[in-house]
Amino acid sequence: MTQTIIWTIAILTILGAALAIVLYVVAEKFKVEEDPRIDDVEKELPGANCGGCGQAGCRAFAQFCVESEDMDKCFCPVGGNDVMQKVAAVLGREVAAKEPMVAVVRCNGSCENRPRTNEYGGYQSCRVKAALYSGDTGCSFGCLGCGDCVAACQFGAISMDPATGLPVVDEEKCTACGACVKACPKAIIELRNKGRRNMRVFVSCVNKDKGAVARKACKAACIGCGKCAKVCAFDAITVENNIAYIDFAKCKLCKKCVAECPTGAIHAVNFPVIKPKPAAPAEGAAPRPAASTEGAARPVISTEGAAVVEKSVKKEE
Amino acid sequence: MMKTFSIGGIHPSDSKISKDCKIEVLPVPSKVFISVAQHLGAPATPIVKAGDQVKVGQVIAEPAGFISAYVHSSVSGTVKSVGPRKDLAGNNMTHIEIDVEGDEWIEGVDLTDTLVTAIPEDNKAILDKIKMCGVVGLGGATFPAHVKLCPPPGKKADCLILNGAECEPYLTSDYRIMLERSKEIVVGAAIMKQVLGGCPAVIGIEENKPEAIKAMTAAVAELQSTAKGYEGISVMTLKKKYPQGGEKQLIDAVMGRQVKSMGLPIDVGAVVQNVATSLAVYEAVQKNIPLITNVMTITGDCLPMEKQHNYKFRIGMPLSYIAEVAGGVPAEAAKIISGGPMMGKAIANMDATTVKGSSSLLYLTAEQTVRGVESACIRCGKCAEACPMGLEPFLLQKYARNSMMDELEENAIQDCIECGCCLYSCPANIPLLDIIRLAKGDVIKIIRGRGQR
Repeated sequence: MTQTIIWTIAILTILGAALAIVLYVVAEKFKVEEDPRIDDVEKELPGANCGGCGQAGCRAFAQFCVESEDMDKCFCPVGGNDVMQKVAAVLGREVAAKEPMVAVVRCNGSCENRPRTNEYGGYQSCRVKAALYSGDTGCSFGCLGCGDCVAACQFGAISMDPATGLPVVDEEKCTACGACVKACPKAIIELRNKGRRNMRVFVSCVNKDKGAVARKACKAACIGCGKCAKVCAFDAITVENNIAYIDFAKCKLCKKCVAECPTGAIHAVNFPVIKPKPAAPAEGAAPRPAASTEGAARPVISTEGAAVVEKSVKKEE
Repeated sequence: MMKTFSIGGIHPSDSKISKDCKIEVLPVPSKVFISVAQHLGAPATPIVKAGDQVKVGQVIAEPAGFISAYVHSSVSGTVKSVGPRKDLAGNNMTHIEIDVEGDEWIEGVDLTDTLVTAIPEDNKAILDKIKMCGVVGLGGATFPAHVKLCPPPGKKADCLILNGAECEPYLTSDYRIMLERSKEIVVGAAIMKQVLGGCPAVIGIEENKPEAIKAMTAAVAELQSTAKGYEGISVMTLKKKYPQGGEKQLIDAVMGRQVKSMGLPIDVGAVVQNVATSLAVYEAVQKNIPLITNVMTITGDCLPMEKQHNYKFRIGMPLSYIAEVAGGVPAEAAKIISGGPMMGKAIANMDATTVKGSSSLLYLTAEQTVRGVESACIRCGKCAEACPMGLEPFLLQKYARNSMMDELEENAIQDCIECGCCLYSCPANIPLLDIIRLAKGDVIKIIRGRGQR
């Protein structure tokens, strides 16, 4: 009995020692040289593996940072400038601070502004819906409202507003990783400069139709009239394909365009309220708040087939 | 023993309500909007501008590439504008708007009813005519016909198959032309057969259309006994099963050959054309009439018998105009479909206009369009049993939801013909086709991208 135990211990010890030598030799011989700084950089990163930086994940980004000569090309949108400063410190380099960005939804086609012309009852996915047809309103450029952006956001920063049927971005949570930008088949969401004290001015519409067509489909559409471009003193607004675009790098937040826009398509957000206007209901040219909660209840989406044409479709030719 | 394709398939009720309605000619409206994208491939380039006078049959848009087609004016009058207009799905597409004045045709067109049976000998001239007349496949895909009729070098057609299956429920336009224009279809078949090098031609018709089979058989027999060049044309009765009209399914049914993954019918020596295409070829080659008309069915269970129609329409007519002429949109209609209920598209915009491939206005009631609530897959395998391409839709949808592109390609998602059999048979109401169609597009993009590199 004792002998068996001794033998077992002896054999296992010898075996263990022999294998340890083999492992050591193999490990030494086939050692992969890896820059130790990659590990150090990775420790500083948020670890969300969101892909917002354009790399496959945080580890890949760390490797990219170490190998890349130019620090300007490396930016972790989730971690922002703080993280990049730390990464630069690890690598002993200098990095210029970048302007923080935020996702902006450029559609104000709420149920009230943009009446439904048919009912969609198919699979609730914007990509599927976009592949089938132009959407359940007269606007073929606007938000489809199935929430692909909500599903794409890893940070819980986007939610659908049931009152408007449009996605709303939580600026606190948004890391500007760009996942929603890629998920939106209509390219409505744009990453824009967060702006001084979060104040931003942007055109909340992407409708490229001619003014009359766009206006017919949606009350809040940009009709490409160009008034905003004329009034802008900083040359920040361009009108192309019947749609105005404000270059956030040039915009000085003067808000002249907001007052000028006849459809209220230009939104100014997070500006301090100067004084509450006593008589608001003017000529309908009043600027609208970005996430206006006005509008009727969301229409009942039927469970019928792909796209249901409204029964009362009447020709107006 | 009647033939059919070997795997999968379903048996929806055929609902051919309008099958006894004769083809009526629709009056020309005061204005037409002709789309430049009426075919598979690159949209044509408009060659007219506002203010131009056009005649019926005049070329108004030229092909923009190899796989593209000519578009002709379907009316005579003045071009009012060339610009974007919403199509069937509500997306912008260039349309040519023409104000109708009279009905003046271009010269050299034979508008009489006389049957021309003598087939021209010059194959190249025939192909040119088919191309110049803008003939496209009218079975649904609207693939330019002349491209299909020129097999690539080294490949030879063993059989021309004419598709008279019309396996989609409700549609009766092919059935009506087989009854009313049977001889013209046979002449068209003989022309295509000659172009392909004299291979035999088989007209495949499903068993649920006995009158069509009789009419076509009689037409073939008569032409064979009276004219030259009609040898080797025959009519084959096929078992009723959806999707028999699918190109690969029809080749399997008629010839017993299978087209391999990502292959073309010509790889197995087959060329498939719809009977309506055959009629268009006849009109183009024998009568010089460009493809500006086709037959469409106005039907639906909620339509009374007198409002069911088979109309010969001209391209560019607004659908709302056609619906009005046909007696208005019924109040019960919850969904209007262009094409059959299985593969057709719901119309989002009734101001859209007819195109070469328009085949129906089908009114479905709310009851008929209800989609059940989606529940979990119970792995019953009904979708795999129904799939005519031998795929496993339950697996594909799972991979697709997780964007597993390699697995999707291994499981041949690119072979999906989007027939909808899986969705039709699924007891759990999983939107299989919606998900698979999207992933199929992605996978095909990946495969093509690889080929280019």
